[in-house]
Amino acid sequence: MLYFPQLSSGAAGQFPVTRQRVARTVVNQSCQSYETKLADPGASITEWHLSFEELTDQELAALEALFQTVEGRLTPFTFLDPVDNLLAWSEQQDQAVWQAEPLLTLTSGLSDPLGGTNAYRVSNPSAATLMLQQTINGPASLDYCLSLYSRSDPSTRVWLLRGSESDARTISTAWTRPYSAGQLQSTADTISFGIALDPGSTIDIFGIQVEAQTTASLYKRTAEVGGVYQNARFRDDTLTITTLGPSRHSCELDIVNVEYI
Amino acid sequence: MFPTLKTGAVMQYPAKRTLRFNTDTIRFLDGTEQRFRDNPSVLHAWTIRLDLLDEAELATLDQFFISNQGRFGSFSFTDPWDGTVYPNCSLEGDTFGFQLSGEMRGKTTLTVCENRT
Repeated sequence: MLYFPQLSSGAAGQFPVTRQRVARTVVNQSCQSYETKLADPGASITEWHLSFEELTDQELAALEALFQTVEGRLTPFTFLDPVDNLLAWSEQQDQAVWQAEPLLTLTSGLSDPLGGTNAYRVSNPSAATLMLQQTINGPASLDYCLSLYSRSDPSTRVWLLRGSESDARTISTAWTRPYSAGQLQSTADTISFGIALDPGSTIDIFGIQVEAQTTASLYKRTAEVGGVYQNARFRDDTLTITTLGPSRHSCELDIVNVEYI
Repeated sequence: MFPTLKTGAVMQYPAKRTLRFNTDTIRFLDGTEQRFRDNPSVLHAWTIRLDLLDEAELATLDQFFISNQGRFGSFSFTDPWDGTVYPNCSLEGDTFGFQLSGEMRGKTTLTVCENRT
């Protein structure tokens, strides 16, 4: 699987990051300014402009290796958006992308820590540990951070699932935001994230987020589009690198994700 | 509904509002003109420049752009100058971009325009 590399710090990018979405709408406008519009969702494009400073030799080598393997803008690769939540439907755990084990019960419409009513109550009435997960098409070998808002009355324990890893976190009656981060020794092309509940436990959850980095940033709501782009390409056939000294490189590059190619 | 910032505000200064008529002009050989209106009334547009947004606010605007499919969708917009609700508005363009120059340092611009109903 070809994918955009992380920096040695585990970060997915450096500031500043620019992202642009381009939609396509066909518009027929009359003289009186009445408009008939037709959407063309298949023609949408997402673009990023990334700037890198002070790259080490290893980091640059990884970037160059990808650029040479994909032969510039010829071949697609997987790009994990450094400024987005990688999970889709972060506030709708009843969508099909979420795999809830059959006996797990989900109740929507609860008040959430951001002032809305988008939290879910997850209950496990069974005698076995049950999971709620989402699988993303990202390489399992990268650094990831899973975070979510959660609370429970009475206080209980929840397992944060990150691929084959599971971290136990104690949940209190107030909203807190536990996270689980790290890197797996796996070469799989997909990885699952979610929670597991002990038998008989009930917790409220909101805003599940996964980022390809070592710690959690501010929560970002997603709907049908998560931050995993499998059809990303370099926009240009050239990669220009400036070297200021030993193991001190910088470069700027543009990445586009176009689904219709 | 167009999303608001965490403060509850829709726009930041400098805020720009545009009023647009559509007048046709026929100019005759002797230099005189005849003018007539193409639109029955004025159309409004608002240029919303936003700075120092956090990632959650940017994500909300991004999701709003996606759900509207660019300028295809329509929504109601409340004019922050006078509180008038314009029930049929759209984004003006098919492009939405932002720059994140650091944590909680996002910057973007959107233009909302009123549709003829």
